[in-house]
Amino acid sequence: MVKVFGKRVRLFRPRTIWIRKLVQWFFFLLIALIAVNHTLAESGSAIPVLSSASLHAVCPFGGVVTLYTLASSGVLVQKIHSSALVLAGLSLLLAIFFGPVFCGWICPLGTVQEWVGKLGRKLFKRRYNHFVPTKLDNILRYARYGILIWVLYVTAISGTLIFEAYDPYFALFNFWSGEVAPTALLILGTTLVLSVFVERPWCKYACPYGAVLGLTNLFRVFSIKRAASTCKADGACSIMCPMNIAVDNKTVVRDHQCISCLECTSEAICPVAKTVVFTSGGLK
Amino acid sequence: MTLTSKPLAAILFIVMFGGISVSSALGWWQTESAKVPAAFTEGEFAGQANPADIRGSYTFGDIANSFDVAPDVLARAFQITSDDPASFAVKDLESLYLDSGYEIGTNSIRLFVAFYAGLPFDTTGQEIYLLKPAADILLADATLTPEQTAYLQAHTVEVAPADVEAAPAPSEESAPETESAPPAPDPTTSSTEEYLVKGKTTFGELLQWGVPQDVIEQMIEAPMPDLAMTVKDHATATGLDFETLKTQLQAEVDKIKK
Repeated sequence: MVKVFGKRVRLFRPRTIWIRKLVQWFFFLLIALIAVNHTLAESGSAIPVLSSASLHAVCPFGGVVTLYTLASSGVLVQKIHSSALVLAGLSLLLAIFFGPVFCGWICPLGTVQEWVGKLGRKLFKRRYNHFVPTKLDNILRYARYGILIWVLYVTAISGTLIFEAYDPYFALFNFWSGEVAPTALLILGTTLVLSVFVERPWCKYACPYGAVLGLTNLFRVFSIKRAASTCKADGACSIMCPMNIAVDNKTVVRDHQCISCLECTSEAICPVAKTVVFTSGGLK
Repeated sequence: MTLTSKPLAAILFIVMFGGISVSSALGWWQTESAKVPAAFTEGEFAGQANPADIRGSYTFGDIANSFDVAPDVLARAFQITSDDPASFAVKDLESLYLDSGYEIGTNSIRLFVAFYAGLPFDTTGQEIYLLKPAADILLADATLTPEQTAYLQAHTVEVAPADVEAAPAPSEESAPETESAPPAPDPTTSSTEEYLVKGKTTFGELLQWGVPQDVIEQMIEAPMPDLAMTVKDHATATGLDFETLKTQLQAEVDKIKK
């Protein structure tokens, strides 16, 4: 704090990665508009220029669930289009280099959870995102792999998109269409309510696509790295991490839940320059 | 190399939208269905298209592309009168029979295609109805199990579509009369308009009109193409003169229909 014209003001210092928020807004609006336009197209009044693709056509997870059917019988699972395969490939490419940036920067469901989480942060201050007991939390974090295996299995044996009936992402952008299963609406509602207490609960505990991309954290090219020599060990990076990763006791973040949001870095919360960075090389 | 948020955001946009642009240029970016049903994944029919996966958005032409059922057969089975049965959308069927008291829709098409093509279809617990013309075609042309025949007999209804004229009667070759079938009107009394070879006439229609397959193959100098393919498309694709081919085919049709 410094005095300016006799008033005490806080000097500006970036506390968040603002451009990420901008990118999140962009993709949220893009997907929302496409979803609305898809509905309009069915009544013959689509907005020209804007895509009227179905939500499944612009969801990369569809590209993952259809792989078995594609390999075994040469066709895509119903409702899935080749665009989903393209998006899955691009998201995987990004993840191999930069980790699950799709989750942290693009996924509109993640974005909505973050928006709701702002309310929780205001209500609960530092308690926010720390309600789940550590032991339980550690176990629950592997649930998304179980869900991934289940989704892949049921899709493979049925050749249909069974997950649609449980998918909160589909429910979020189709709740007006009458095509959404009550289970999906229930899961979306639960996710939003939980987001008041826990940051990104769906991503942490249930998202099967996050499970796929999360695996790239183990070998990605660019990682979050902490220079222990300059670290003040104030724990800011760990407190800020939406996925509750203890960045302050790691030199390289290889946690399967990292979403590459960069909120822990020296560009955002870390008060020491070049101490927590996103890099492909080593740190001095 | 160290990255900050702005270059990362730029990379993200370049990769996502650049990738979409490149895939579009390569023809990989398809956001609409290719209208190909999922295939059976196991058993005797593994790899073959599954009739249970026929969707409302499919046209009779799409169905003909995946199953050995010509659009004209489907049109006759469901009493659709159209110059271009291949373009008739399955989802439009239900609205034609809304007032009939029976649900004649996508499921009826699935059942018909499955029985006609000899593919498995689970009817357990389902009440799926077929029209009499469809049942007649199946009894005449398909190989049905006793269970399938019994199901068919229990689920055949005689209703007329709303605002649609009765479909042209089947020719003797494609659907010979059976005991249960109503007498078919004499094809020779039909308007000759119905047997005009046009650009959108399909090979399936030619067969339905009674033109022998070997005659067609002789004229197009090639094995019989997909039955849903139009004569004009085939002529364009193979470099044949459509007008000449049309005249030859029309002569054959006229010979049969006289």
